[in-house]
Amino acid sequence: MKDALRKAYRDAVLSRRFEERVTQMSMTGEIPATLHPGAGQEVCQAAAIAALGPQDKVLYGHRGVTYMIARGTPIAAILADIAAKEGGTNRGKGGVMHIVDVPHGVLGESGTLGGGFVICAGVAMALKHFGRGEVVVHFFGDGTSSRGTFHESLNWCAVKKLPAIFFCENNGWAVSAPATETIAVQDIAARAHGYGIPGVVVDGTDAFAVYEVMEQAVQRARNGEGPTLIEAKVVRMAGHYIGDQQPYRPDRDQASERDPLPKFTSTMLAAGIIDQAEVDRIEADCRAEIDRAVETVKAAPLLSPALALQDAYA
Amino acid sequence: MAVMTYAAAINEALVEEMERDPDVILYGEDVEVGIFGVTGGLHERFGPDRVFNTPISEPLIVGSAVGAAMMGMRPIAELQFADFIFTAGDEVFLKAGMWRFMHGGAYTLPLVVRAPSGGAGFGPEHSACPEAYIMHSPGLLCAVPSTPADAKGLLKQAIRLDNPVIFFEHKSLYGSRDEVPDGENLVPFGQAVVRREGDALTIVAWQNMLRRSLAAAERLSAEGIEVEIIDPRTLNPFDRDTIIESVKKTGACMVVEEAYRTLGVGAEIGAILMEEALPYLDKPFKRLAIPDVPIATARHFANAIVPTEDDIYNGVKELVG
Repeated sequence: MKDALRKAYRDAVLSRRFEERVTQMSMTGEIPATLHPGAGQEVCQAAAIAALGPQDKVLYGHRGVTYMIARGTPIAAILADIAAKEGGTNRGKGGVMHIVDVPHGVLGESGTLGGGFVICAGVAMALKHFGRGEVVVHFFGDGTSSRGTFHESLNWCAVKKLPAIFFCENNGWAVSAPATETIAVQDIAARAHGYGIPGVVVDGTDAFAVYEVMEQAVQRARNGEGPTLIEAKVVRMAGHYIGDQQPYRPDRDQASERDPLPKFTSTMLAAGIIDQAEVDRIEADCRAEIDRAVETVKAAPLLSPALALQDAYA
Repeated sequence: MAVMTYAAAINEALVEEMERDPDVILYGEDVEVGIFGVTGGLHERFGPDRVFNTPISEPLIVGSAVGAAMMGMRPIAELQFADFIFTAGDEVFLKAGMWRFMHGGAYTLPLVVRAPSGGAGFGPEHSACPEAYIMHSPGLLCAVPSTPADAKGLLKQAIRLDNPVIFFEHKSLYGSRDEVPDGENLVPFGQAVVRREGDALTIVAWQNMLRRSLAAAERLSAEGIEVEIIDPRTLNPFDRDTIIESVKKTGACMVVEEAYRTLGVGAEIGAILMEEALPYLDKPFKRLAIPDVPIATARHFANAIVPTEDDIYNGVKELVG
């Protein structure tokens, strides 16, 4: 667990610094402003992914790029996808929304929110069919949980005891609509009762707690006992998109006060998993890694528009 | 050569491909029973892990096929009625059609969606032949088999292709009988077939409209009018050349389709002829199709709006009589 959390910590720091850099580059027009910021949710995402094995699969949510970073996708590839440069993962077709890295189990994302639930069910059917003990986790937000596909997929995965984990990051906001206006219950995890599967609520700002509930869900899925619905309560520190001033959001100025990253640092220090020197070294390493990625992508050529005609068919 | 029904030919294709490849699975609403008599016996033969019922969840049925296909299986998903393509619109058009594309070609999606279409008496939401929507949408192959032999050969081919195939089975044809070649017989996609040769006019028709066109052609032949009838067999890929070559010979073309007229397959064929064969046409291009209203439940209403053998006979006479 210590090694997994140490890795999660680095992934979260790298994601935060990388996103800050992407935001800066977007604001100056160097790259298109297509990223949906994940600030405030990186700790949760990194800790959840730390509980997976190398062969497990991830269908990620649209908020931030921690998912891919935590699975091992190089940030230069992610930045190249954002910038539509050579060296990315999806050849200009999907930008940051459809980063794909099959060897690392990064399977992709549905651009229509909620489209991923039923894809996840099919992935889980295949994982069960091939019988290698792999699991798939689908990350989604509270807003996406209102799609009918949520029900269709959870019901089916529960019926067939498929190796799937449904991981809801509840930040309380679906773009500009508060969850209190769109969701009838306090806890989305309570819906698990309707499918006869475990539903777990966890503090998404607590990496240790996230890791533990995820570890249990992974074990359950691997053992053939079926899916788990996890709901992590998280903080959306930024707007829905880069430049979103969030006029709809009364707590917009207070969101950063709940930043889980400093909390993660102090918990890791208190637990003796890392020391201050390592914290400083991770910060420096991440910044250097980002500088290298930015240089690589700046030097890379734009993708050829001829690629626009490719990949529709095998 | 064995004589069998269109439904039995599809069943045989499923059996052969499932025997051949353990990663082929078949599922959908009521497939264990098979309400149109197509999938009966498969559940018993291949077991509950490979042939199974699903809930009434069309987005799940198609979406999970995309998920399973991207992981290396070859799922065959059945929609109980072709109209349910719209219930699973996101999964059909945006996922099956685009998942590979938007992930830069990282995946192949070898899946088949079987969709029973057409017919009369089923009501407005259970009667459509929605192939034009599929033909319009990138990333989706589209098969419209008209004979038992093609139903078997095209389905076997569809299961082996690495692209998603929407496979339309016409409900009025399930009981039709004809010869099916013995042994392995894959029908390639993108190759139309000339069902009847003639020089007076080219008819393009498939499935039940092909059957009616062939019957009308018999009557016209008795009057000395020989029409050429082309069955496209697949709409994507679409064999333009066979139609254009025929039009060069006949100088006239009529499309008969069991679907709404506006922007139907016939409209596309007309546009192709305008672009590529106008010098050879010496008659106006003509479409017979359903007027742009839904298909009512009353059988005699459906028969009043879907092109009939008489409509086809009269249509030809108007053009070349």
